[in-house]
Amino acid sequence: MAEHVAKSPALDVPPEPPAKRIKLSPQPKKQDADDSGPASPSATPLVADLAEQLDAQERNKYVKGKKLGSGQYADVFSAYLVTDPTQLVAIKKIKVGAEVKEMGISYDSLREIRFLQELDHPNIIKLYSVFSTKNQNLNLVLEQLPQGDLLKLIQDTQNISYTPADVKAWMLMLMRAVHFCHANFILHRDIKPNNLLIAANGEIKLADFGLARSFADPYQPMTYNTITIWYRPPELFFQAQFYGGAVDVWSCGAVFAELISRDVLFRAWPESEMNMVKLICEKVGTPTEENWPGVSKLKGYVTPTEIQPVRPKDYWLANFRTIGEIGVDLLMKMLTLDPKVRLSAEGVLKHEYWTSAPRPSKLEALPRKGGGIEVMGEDLKRRGGEVPGKENERGDKVARKIDFGAAK
Amino acid sequence: MSRLAQQKSSPVARRDGGAVRPPGDSLLTPQDGELPTRQMDRMSLSYSTHTDSPATEVCPVCKSTKYMNPNLKFLVNPVCYHKMCESCVDRLFSHGPAPCPIKGCSETLRKNRFRKQTFEDIKVEREVDIRKKVAQVFNRREEEFASLREYNDYLNDVEDITFNLINNIDIEETQRRFKNHEDKWKENIVENASLAQQEQMLYAEQQKAEREQAKRRREEARREEMEERKEAEATRRDMLRRLENGQDPEEVKKERAAVQLKKRQNRQDAANRQSQLKAADATNGSSSFVIKGLKNKKAKLEPEAPVDPFGGLTFEHSYFSLQDDYVWEGLREAKRDPLIAAGGYDIASFTGRALCEAFSGLGVMVADEAVERERLNEPETLSTTKAEIAAKDVKMEDPF
Ligand SMILES: Nc1ncnc2c1ncn2[C@@H]1O[C@H](COP(=O)(O)OP(=O)(O)OP(=O)(O)O)[C@@H](O)[C@H]1O
Ligand SMILES: [Mg+2]
Ligand SMILES: [Zn+2]
Ligand SMILES: [Zn+2]
Repeated sequence: MAEHVAKSPALDVPPEPPAKRIKLSPQPKKQDADDSGPASPSATPLVADLAEQLDAQERNKYVKGKKLGSGQYADVFSAYLVTDPTQLVAIKKIKVGAEVKEMGISYDSLREIRFLQELDHPNIIKLYSVFSTKNQNLNLVLEQLPQGDLLKLIQDTQNISYTPADVKAWMLMLMRAVHFCHANFILHRDIKPNNLLIAANGEIKLADFGLARSFADPYQPMTYNTITIWYRPPELFFQAQFYGGAVDVWSCGAVFAELISRDVLFRAWPESEMNMVKLICEKVGTPTEENWPGVSKLKGYVTPTEIQPVRPKDYWLANFRTIGEIGVDLLMKMLTLDPKVRLSAEGVLKHEYWTSAPRPSKLEALPRKGGGIEVMGEDLKRRGGEVPGKENERGDKVARKIDFGAAK
Repeated sequence: MSRLAQQKSSPVARRDGGAVRPPGDSLLTPQDGELPTRQMDRMSLSYSTHTDSPATEVCPVCKSTKYMNPNLKFLVNPVCYHKMCESCVDRLFSHGPAPCPIKGCSETLRKNRFRKQTFEDIKVEREVDIRKKVAQVFNRREEEFASLREYNDYLNDVEDITFNLINNIDIEETQRRFKNHEDKWKENIVENASLAQQEQMLYAEQQKAEREQAKRRREEARREEMEERKEAEATRRDMLRRLENGQDPEEVKKERAAVQLKKRQNRQDAANRQSQLKAADATNGSSSFVIKGLKNKKAKLEPEAPVDPFGGLTFEHSYFSLQDDYVWEGLREAKRDPLIAAGGYDIASFTGRALCEAFSGLGVMVADEAVERERLNEPETLSTTKAEIAAKDVKMEDPF
């Protein structure tokens, strides 16, 4: 199998996402040196004809149903197979944006397709196939995840209560997904509770790969203007262009804290970068050369006027004591200022938190929105959001994955 | 306020001595997990006049009434329990934590903690909250105590603490006891909470299984009855037909009796089998019964495999092994560049990726790929998509 999964010429993607997906901060001009200009959408007519036929065939396999939700750049519908109405999928219809006129296809969806087809993991949403419609609308056929997202659970403080063991189970699934991405050299760059969808059986699925990218080569700068602002790590506020998996680990740490306190950890208001840095200084500590060698060399670093020393363990314990001392230790190591010192996803999974008491909750014991035990019992019969009986065919729908050594 | 466990009473003086506590001097910080203890006194003062019928309820902040606006909904925040309407909550707290607008109340409230009032009487609401909080922390189980006596003493203490918290008696001392217990039993609390949850789950599951079994049995019985009726009808018709055809009535009668005997025996066998199955079901199901009423905590936690954080995933490279460091001209500069290091860029992850990509071609069997391509071009597999077709033909540089 080839090490690059080759793709349609139309899938030749320009580098970083355009302004539309910029996460609430002004777009810096020309900051990406890897901005190599748009690639040519040069499908040969023959391929295009055939492709159109195939598209129609793929499209006609599904019956579209009610809307499941919509986001900044897509509407998501429920759908089922014509041949078997019990087989549910979700069709994510990409909204046509400005760049579509230019490119014929949206960057974000390309990222999403590109990475999702490479990743096959129980905690990462599955992409079954892709088709387009007349007006160049791109449709991703995804596994349907009918239980909403983690944000809905966190916010429903009236009806949903959960235990430290539940938090551990959710975080473990999240960290496995992130570790898997990193082990496959992919950065997600948009980890937050509403991108963590919940499958019928309670499994967490990392979704929305619209901002993902592969690890950069040395000297290949990346954008610092990524990750939803509340979940963005300090190095990106300081405009670092060479970064790694540590950015996702910070976001995971923020999700961890949010799960425990049921409130956003760094809720800057108004949502400016300056306020975010202020909040991070206040809650974690002020980044200095002492606690983060080299930080002052970063382009966006502002020499602080007053210094909040790095918060000690007691401070964290006072706020997050429900997860115990070991849990707090992990949380602090995920929210360490210096990305070199911050745990990697692998380091997080090696922490003793996971194996110490309490055991992470079993899937069936995890709280879920609405539908009581009865409904859940029904759901449990099906595995995940998987289309029953489709496992073997899936590989044929989506371009084949890279074989990363012996990833077993 | 009611005291549930009527056991030995605490000294009366303590109860009378409950001073009005100034707000904000609680031992616990106003966060989740906090005990709703404050301000009850002031609150009952300001609201005793407002417990009128729901139709004339007035929002103390914007003065809207149910009469003017039938959709008016009231919310309370379990920090100070001041009631206000939903639109006031939206307006005041959407931009983050803000002070309670009720005059004289200085609590900082968060929007996501507002909720509908469950009980009409706000005092009951607060008592239920306190009871919930206490029950969460004081969740020791009977099986942890050597004797029933000790368990009862413990329950009594818990009720004392609950009573004091509800009535603002000896509040500092009580909160200290609460916190001491919470710290001392931290791990046990967490463990018992998850045990309780598991039991609840098991119980619910078992109830469901029982209901399903009952339903199956009913259906089975109905099916049998129908079959019996059908059979009887068929035999009757058969007999009539034979009589019409001029067979000897005695003969027909005898034959019919024999057939019916045989059928009855078959049914008997089936019934036996059914009851055997039922018995087997019951013994299988009984394992969850044991868990439900089990006394011994240790026995309840069946040995489970230790948690594997990696979920059985290992990343082994079949073609190479990674060194800690590579001396290569192209990387030397990067290693020294403070900008690259400060942002958290990890050179080792690059060398790892480079090697992985360099070696991943070794697993390719060109012949297999060709066969695959053939297959894709056959008409019956035309269900493939645009992306795939191209996937086999076009080699793409990493464009990101
Ligand atoms: N596979 C799925 N199954 C069920 N619902 C889904 C699925 N995928 C997405 N949704 C719903 O649709 C919403 C939007 O999806 P998604 O986050 O992928 O779109 P987006 O445009 O990237 O959103 P964002 O605003 O976060 O950028 C989700 O919040 C979720 O409620
Ligand atoms: Mg999203
Ligand atoms: Zn009001
Ligand atoms: Zn108040």
